[in-house]
Amino acid sequence: MSRTSNHADGDIVRDLLSIADLLEDPQLAQLYAYLAREAEATVPDVMDELDLAQGTAYNYVNRLVDAGVVEVTNDEQPRRYAAHEIDLTVSTPAGDREYTITPALIDAVGRRETNADIDTYIDRHGVAGLATALTYAVARERGEVTHRLMADDLDISPLAAEMILQALRPVVYEHYDVDKAGTALDELDVGGGAADDT
Amino acid sequence: MSRLHIADTGLFVAMGQPSNSRYQAVRRFARQNDITFVLPERVYDELAVENPDVEAPPVTVAIDEEWTTVASPLDFSEPIVSRAMDGVQRYIANGDDRPADDVERADAALAALAAQHLSTGTATEVYIYTTDIAAGEGAETVLASEGYGDSVTFVDGFQFIEDLVTGDS
Repeated sequence: MSRTSNHADGDIVRDLLSIADLLEDPQLAQLYAYLAREAEATVPDVMDELDLAQGTAYNYVNRLVDAGVVEVTNDEQPRRYAAHEIDLTVSTPAGDREYTITPALIDAVGRRETNADIDTYIDRHGVAGLATALTYAVARERGEVTHRLMADDLDISPLAAEMILQALRPVVYEHYDVDKAGTALDELDVGGGAADDT
Repeated sequence: MSRLHIADTGLFVAMGQPSNSRYQAVRRFARQNDITFVLPERVYDELAVENPDVEAPPVTVAIDEEWTTVASPLDFSEPIVSRAMDGVQRYIANGDDRPADDVERADAALAALAAQHLSTGTATEVYIYTTDIAAGEGAETVLASEGYGDSVTFVDGFQFIEDLVTGDS
């Protein structure tokens, strides 16, 4: 094996560790997700968007740059920063299962700061549990599973399943292609004549 | 011509608490159109659980305010009720490549309740408000195969609320 490929192996491990840090720290995750969404931003943009003090904003941005998941795109003041695409696939030794860590998962973790349902779910089921829930959320929006199938599979209540699916829905629409289903309100003809069901 | 409006768990979760504009928009829609949302028993059971981790959806408030009600038990002596139940379970199972027996009967209860009312004539049109696309499309598909294709409409719960709130502002 050449030294070049050894070096590349090191990069992969570094990426893995950086991404693990992101998943551990919702504020870093939130910042990464913001930069990924915006393409490019300055520290003042970050302060405005995430309501951070200047020192904290610089600290977080520098941590992401050091971790190698964000780069400086323009060195003139104010510096502009952009997120690197994260797409890291982890597989089991048997090769029978694999999971790809995507910006969507990092975005979902970042939302724990502002979404009580995501926060509660991570408290109970961990980031690993949230990754599973996100897989169900994508499948549900594509009409492949229902909240009840998820509840059965994961042995949680249907209500808890519905709540986390709804909390993750904006993440699904932000990061995946999903077609809308159902009939829109202006196509409904609902007036009058309620059925008797007493 | 009578219309039946069947609501699923997700609609109530999406509405939020009574202080929320989404809840108020759905209630206003129900009152303005003289609509009572009907919950299959199994749906009511899902919503009414005591769970210390979550703020329970306000289903009892909506029932007290008389724009939501719980359906009487399904009448399985009507053959179409069982057929709708089985058909939707099969439809949802196919979508995820799993055995039909694995599919929760509450998913199919929406279509079964619709089938019961259409076949006995207590409703001529049924709207199913759910956030589970598989359950909504399953109900439309199975009831179409029973000859009720023009009588059943799947309404996406999220889109419905979004349209109402946008329309109000």
